[in-house]
Amino acid sequence: MIIIDKNKRNILLFIAAIPLLYSIQGHAYQSPEGIMVAVSNPQTKDIKADDDFTVDDEDEIKVNDPFESFNRAIFKFNDELYTGVMKPIAIGYRAVIPEKARSSIKNFFTNLLAPVRVVNAALQLKGQDATNELVRFGVNTIIGFAGFLDVARDDFNIKIKKEDFGQTLGHYGMGSGPYLVLPLWGPSSVRDGFGLLVDGVYLDPVAYLDKTEDYLIVRFIDIETTISLDKDTYEAIKKDSLDPYIFIRNAYTQQRTGAVNK
Amino acid sequence: MNMVKPAGLIFGIVFVFFSQTILAADSPMDQLKSTIDSVITTLKDKSLDSEARRSKIRVLINDRFYFRAMSQRTLSRYWKKATPQQQKQFVSLFSKLLENTYVGRLEAYTNEKVVYLRERNKNAKRAVVYTQIETGSTEIPINYKLARKNDKWLIYDVVIEEVSLISNFRSSYAEIIKKEGMDGLLSKMEKKLAEVPVKTTNAS
Repeated sequence: MIIIDKNKRNILLFIAAIPLLYSIQGHAYQSPEGIMVAVSNPQTKDIKADDDFTVDDEDEIKVNDPFESFNRAIFKFNDELYTGVMKPIAIGYRAVIPEKARSSIKNFFTNLLAPVRVVNAALQLKGQDATNELVRFGVNTIIGFAGFLDVARDDFNIKIKKEDFGQTLGHYGMGSGPYLVLPLWGPSSVRDGFGLLVDGVYLDPVAYLDKTEDYLIVRFIDIETTISLDKDTYEAIKKDSLDPYIFIRNAYTQQRTGAVNK
Repeated sequence: MNMVKPAGLIFGIVFVFFSQTILAADSPMDQLKSTIDSVITTLKDKSLDSEARRSKIRVLINDRFYFRAMSQRTLSRYWKKATPQQQKQFVSLFSKLLENTYVGRLEAYTNEKVVYLRERNKNAKRAVVYTQIETGSTEIPINYKLARKNDKWLIYDVVIEEVSLISNFRSSYAEIIKKEGMDGLLSKMEKKLAEVPVKTTNAS
């Protein structure tokens, strides 16, 4: 992800903010197709002729992707990195460390990112969600052995609700802007990429580690744990879809639209 | 005095009749659950060879998936432009592709817990069943959209973590149709089906 010296952070944030400001103003990146159109019409079109399913009863998603050829190049780079390096390591990791242990490590990292969820829920004035995340963090850190056990979920039935700065911006009406594939990270957008940077620089405790090597090692373990626990989702998409790039672009857009509206 | 008996008898007959109709028209969730349970049981059945297992699953899935509806939704406006022959070919290819995708994913999650959360009937003909797969570290929400055909509830879309599979297929297929036409899409699908399935690593 992002590796930066603390004092260079603000400069980087500023640079990253430039395209964002453009996209707020609109027009700058708009393709002829226009920005994302999401038409929601849940109730009215429900009842139709029994055998005609050609007319849709919900959201039609269009993605604004003016940088498609550039994005596809990054996509290919990420694909090669994932397939050639990250995944083989994850497979070795799977073979050596039992699933339960890896789940606990994943829980630890999830718990560590609680500040991102608390602050962003609060920024969106979602009091209940912010409180829940705060309670989850307290409970899991203290009686969940620094977050290795998700006691809040398992014993108190308080479930995680993911919030990030991209969602916060979306909550206040900002569109996603053009679709972006970020190197090492994967699918994103101008808005969400900026959000990622804000969360990653200010709210992710790992970013406060002093040494860049420490940061890298921790991030590496985090990512490999996630890949090892995943059940080959990416491989399945690649195997089954006619164009994985479009499949993932659409899936990402749908998922983010859903996350913002929740 | 004797009136009681026939009344009771009639009541009994009516009761039996009604309870049977109620049983016949299971809720969308019950119907979905029975299919998913059978697929998972079949996947776990070590006594079957892979060919037998696959054909058994194919029958189960064909019985619950509304492939024609899924095809129409996927092609959306292109459905009406297609010739009946193309439509027929698309349904056949698309159902095989979907079946592969669905079974492949179920295989990966065979040992995880499926929880049936709730169902919502939008109207007499449409319902959504909310389910969740729970693994040690995460929960994956999967919603099934069902349409009623006679007494049967059939799946016409699967929404995984907010992502509608049909919407996904629609966007990628639309791009291909724009560039290469309906026949281009059909031949691409055929080629995809002919590919030797990539062996996935054993996730755990």
